[in-house]
Amino acid sequence: MKAIKLGFPILLILFSIVFLIASLQLPKANLGNSNAPIYFPAGISVFMLLFGVIYLIQELRTLHEENGDIRQMLSGRTPKLIGITILFGLIYAFIFERVGFLLSTFLFLGGLLFVINGRKKWLVNVIVAVCFSFVSWYAFSQLLGVSLP
Amino acid sequence: MDLSSFMDGLSLSLQPINIMWIIVGGFLGTIVGMLPGLGPATAVAVLIPVTFGMSPVSAIILMAAIYYGAMYGGSRSSILLNTPGDGSAIAATFDGYPMARKGQAGPALAISAVASFIGGTIAVIGFIFLAEPLANFALDFGPAEYFLLMLLTLSAIVVLSIGKMVKGFLAMMVGLALSTIGIDTQTGVYRFTMGIPQLSEGIDFLIVIIGVYAIGEVLYNLLNIDQMKKEKKKVGKVWFSKEQWKRSVWPILRSGPLGFVVGVLPGAGGSIASMIGYTTEKQISKRSDEFGEGAVEGLAAPESANNAASVGAMIPLLTMGIPGSGTTAVMLGALIMLGLRPGPLLFEQQPETAWALINSMFLGNIALVIINILLVGVLVKILDTPAKVLYPIIVLLAFIGTYTLSYSTVDFFLLLIFGFVGLMMKVLDFPIAPLVLALIVGSDMEQNFRMAVLSSGGNLGVFFSSGVSIALSILTLLSLTYPFIIRMIRKRKQHLNSKDQVYRSS
Repeated sequence: MKAIKLGFPILLILFSIVFLIASLQLPKANLGNSNAPIYFPAGISVFMLLFGVIYLIQELRTLHEENGDIRQMLSGRTPKLIGITILFGLIYAFIFERVGFLLSTFLFLGGLLFVINGRKKWLVNVIVAVCFSFVSWYAFSQLLGVSLP
Repeated sequence: MDLSSFMDGLSLSLQPINIMWIIVGGFLGTIVGMLPGLGPATAVAVLIPVTFGMSPVSAIILMAAIYYGAMYGGSRSSILLNTPGDGSAIAATFDGYPMARKGQAGPALAISAVASFIGGTIAVIGFIFLAEPLANFALDFGPAEYFLLMLLTLSAIVVLSIGKMVKGFLAMMVGLALSTIGIDTQTGVYRFTMGIPQLSEGIDFLIVIIGVYAIGEVLYNLLNIDQMKKEKKKVGKVWFSKEQWKRSVWPILRSGPLGFVVGVLPGAGGSIASMIGYTTEKQISKRSDEFGEGAVEGLAAPESANNAASVGAMIPLLTMGIPGSGTTAVMLGALIMLGLRPGPLLFEQQPETAWALINSMFLGNIALVIINILLVGVLVKILDTPAKVLYPIIVLLAFIGTYTLSYSTVDFFLLLIFGFVGLMMKVLDFPIAPLVLALIVGSDMEQNFRMAVLSSGGNLGVFFSSGVSIALSILTLLSLTYPFIIRMIRKRKQHLNSKDQVYRSS
C-alpha cells in the first residue's frame, strides 16, 4: 500500500521533469516569437513539479494512514478482475478489425461476463453476450448508420 | 429575449422526432443515473454514440435529456438503496432513504420527482431571461477576458475539491499538459507527438472522458463487486399526502432559485447546490430535529436545488463555451464533435438551436416527471439487474463509443490507459473534473493567453486593462484564497472560544 501511496506522487514528479525537459527541447517557431510554443507547457511542468513535491510531502506525512480503496484494490480477486478487464480490452483492440464486430464483441463481452459474473451463470452470460452483441450491432450499424467492421 | 427565435426553438423542440428523443434520453439517462457509481457525466459519455448520425439539434436535445434523466435517476437509487448515483444525489439519501425504510418509498420518489420538476422549471424560466443578455455581454470579451474566465473556471473547480486542493491542482496541470499535445495552432510546431501521426491533432478529449468516467468507474466498482448486495424494495403507493405536500412546497420554491444561482457559478455544481438547499432548510425549519430521520422537506429541498443547478450549469456552457462541471464538460466535447461551437456566437448564428435546447429543457422536465412517476415500478426493477452483468456491458459501450469517434482501434489503447488513470484517481481520491475541464479548455486558454500578450506587444497589463478583466482577476484571486480565509476565520473563532472558556472556568 505504501508503495502505491508514494509511487504515484513520485511518478507525477518524474512526469513533470520529463515534460519540462521535453518542453525546453521543443522546436522553435518560424513565425513570431520563436519560443512562444514553449512557454505554456514549460510553465505547466514547473507548477506540476511544485504541486507534485507538495503532494509527496503530504503523502509522507500520512503514510501510516489506511486507504481502504488501495487495500481493496490489492486484495481478493480484485487485481485479477482489473487485470483481466484491461487484458481483454487489449485483445479486443487487436481482434476487432480482424474478425469483425459481431464475433469480437461476442468473445469480449462473453469473456468478461464469465470472469466477472462467474462460470456458474454460464447460460445468462451466453444469452447476454449473444443478445447484446447483436442488439448493439443492429442499433449502431443499422439504426445509427455507424460503419462497423 | 428574442421572441421569434424563442418560438422557432419551441417549434423545433416540439417536432415529434425531438419529443421522442427527449423521452428516450430521459429514460436512458434515468436508467444510467440510477446505477450506483454512474452519474450524469458517465451517462452522457457512455451514450454519446447514440447521437451519431443525428441532426445537431436532436443530438443536443437528446444529450440534455440524458443529463436531466441522470439527475433524476441518481435520486432513485439514493432513496431506494441509500446509494447515490452521483455526488448531487447524496443529499437525497439523508431523508429519502429513511422515508423508504419507514415504508414511504412511493411518496419519497414522487416528491423527489415533483421537486426536481419544479426546481428545473424555475431554472428554465431563469435561463430564458438570462441566457441571451449573458451571451451579448460575452460578445465584448477579448482574448484576455476569455483567458481570465477560463482561469476562474479552473480555479473554482479546483478550490471546490474541498480537502484535496493539491490533488485538484495536479489533476488540472495534467489536463493542461495533455491539452498541449499536437500541432500548435498559432505556429504550426508539433508538440509532444513522439512521431505518432494520430497525436498530431492532439488527444481527443472524448476518449479521455469516456476512459476516466466510464472505464475508470467500472474498474473502480470492481473493487466492491462481490460485496454488492441486491436489495429488493417495495415501492407501495406512488404519491404523497396533502400534509407532505404542504411541508414540501416552500422548501421546493426556495431551493429552486438558490440551486439555479449556484449552478450558474463556474465550478459549483449540483452537489453543492443540493447541500446548500438541505442545510438552508434545516436551519430555517421548525422541525429541524426531524431532518435525517425522514423529513419530507429534507428530501424536497435538495432535489429542487440540484435539478435547478443542472439547468443553471448550462448557462456558462452555452453562452460562453465554458463548462462549469464534469457533465457540462462532457457535453461541450460532444457538442464540438457535432460541429457546434457553444459561446456567444451560438445565439447569433444558430439561435434556433440554442432556443430549441432551452425549450427542450422544459419539455424534458415534463417528460421526466411523467417517466419517474408512472414508471417507478419498471425503473426500480432495473436496480435488480446484477452489477456483474451491467458493468461488462458498460465497458463494451465505452469501446463502441470510442471506435465511432475516429474508426480506429488505436484509440482503444488510449481508452484503456485513461480508464486505468481514472481508476487510480478514484482510488487515490483525486478529483476528476479538473483534469477533464483543463484538457478541454487548455488549448483555448493557451491560445487566448498568447493572443492577448501578442496584441498588447508583450505587456501583461492587458489582463487588468478592462473592468471585466479586473473583476475576473479579483474573482480568481478570491476563489483561490477563499479556503485559506475561511480556515483562518475558523481558527480565530476557535481560539476566541477557547479563551472565553478559560476565562469562564477561572
